[in-house]
Amino acid sequence: MATSSSASTKCLTLTHMHRIFLTILIFCCTCLQAIAQHTGYKPLANTDDFRKQFAKASQSTQSIQCDFVQTKNLSMLSDKIVSTGQFWFKRDNKVRMEYKKPTYYLLVINGSNIKTKDGTKENKVSAKSNKMFDQVNKMMIDCVQGTVLTNSSFTSAIFESPSSYLVELTPTTKALKGIFKTIDLIIDKKDYSATGMEMMELSGDNTIINFTHKQMNINIPDAVFSID
Amino acid sequence: MRYSQLINLSRHLCKLLLSVAALILFTATARKSQYSHLKPTTGDINCIRNFAPHFSNTLYSASIDVTTHHFSGILFFKLMPDSSTRVVFTNEMGVKFFDFAFTKDNEFIRYYVMPKMDKKVVVKALHNDLELVILHQDLSKAVLLTDSVYNYTAIPTPKGKNYYITDKCSKLIRVEKSSKIKPVVEVQMLNYTAGVPDSISIEHKNFKFNISLKKIDKE
Repeated sequence: MATSSSASTKCLTLTHMHRIFLTILIFCCTCLQAIAQHTGYKPLANTDDFRKQFAKASQSTQSIQCDFVQTKNLSMLSDKIVSTGQFWFKRDNKVRMEYKKPTYYLLVINGSNIKTKDGTKENKVSAKSNKMFDQVNKMMIDCVQGTVLTNSSFTSAIFESPSSYLVELTPTTKALKGIFKTIDLIIDKKDYSATGMEMMELSGDNTIINFTHKQMNINIPDAVFSID
Repeated sequence: MRYSQLINLSRHLCKLLLSVAALILFTATARKSQYSHLKPTTGDINCIRNFAPHFSNTLYSASIDVTTHHFSGILFFKLMPDSSTRVVFTNEMGVKFFDFAFTKDNEFIRYYVMPKMDKKVVVKALHNDLELVILHQDLSKAVLLTDSVYNYTAIPTPKGKNYYITDKCSKLIRVEKSSKIKPVVEVQMLNYTAGVPDSISIEHKNFKFNISLKKIDKE
């Protein structure tokens, strides 16, 4: 009996130890994963303060004009496709993204209306008529307007480095989940403005957009965002 | 209606149906292949390999029209170390639509297709179309024909033939994928520089599915 009890205790202890070991292992793996995903960043302790500051700074942003460099990394090929262009934003809900190299492409979002133009064709759609467009449209506007943290199409996790914050957005809707694994938004600690974003696709590819030569709150005519 | 009248009516109907069936059969067999005038000729079958684009790391500005849908973006061809050719299509904003490969023995590999685009008929059409461009096809069963102006290198396929139409083989006029009787896809590859065409167009004859590619010169 004593032997049996001892064996049982030993067994329980082993099971208990296994559980502790597994818990530590899972915790370590999670930490390592977070570190591996966002090198140079650690989870932010006080997210409430960040959320308030981010929302406050975004509210004071009436317009943005900047250049951008977009780098498409093809994971299986170790190749990059680099595109450059200009970006404009004006409150409320107006975005113009004009790709100039290596090929011309124009995207204009004005409220719920979207215009795209490539080398051969111009296309106008209402975001409301296309679920995917609607959600991508909302995501872009929210990223720039600083309202992305309240967008129900994503769950968010926030990290920080000495110079910037990283908002990791994980899609919750079917349309976005079918394309993106996560979308990381990089926020400058100095003025809480977005300096870049990284879109991780399910295929393992990613697209990084870096914004440069930013001009905040300058006068941008409404004609820049014309859909007609 | 009497029973005898019913019998007569059904006899008439049977005759009518038989006539219609015979007419359909006659029309079908009478449809002449648009390639029936071609005559066998002699020459080097393998010379069409000269028109297989020498993609190393090549970008094209791409425009694809499928029925009422229009897609644009960048099509990327890359020659891999194992001599396969990888083909990736992304839109301008970086979202990948598909990622295929053709091995040096023309085996087709699909690495990725965006779920919304992942329809059997679409993937099959893209496979067939890109196969015509990449030209890794086996030429062991190909035959050389002529219409007295151009040479037609005919490669048998399960549903017809792929024709590479050339002059005496210094210039590629066009490529046609055909059914038993007529072309169903026409491909143009124009203005080769260093073995790579400057523009490529693929046009389906039976439905609206057109691909237009313009080479992007690297700076």
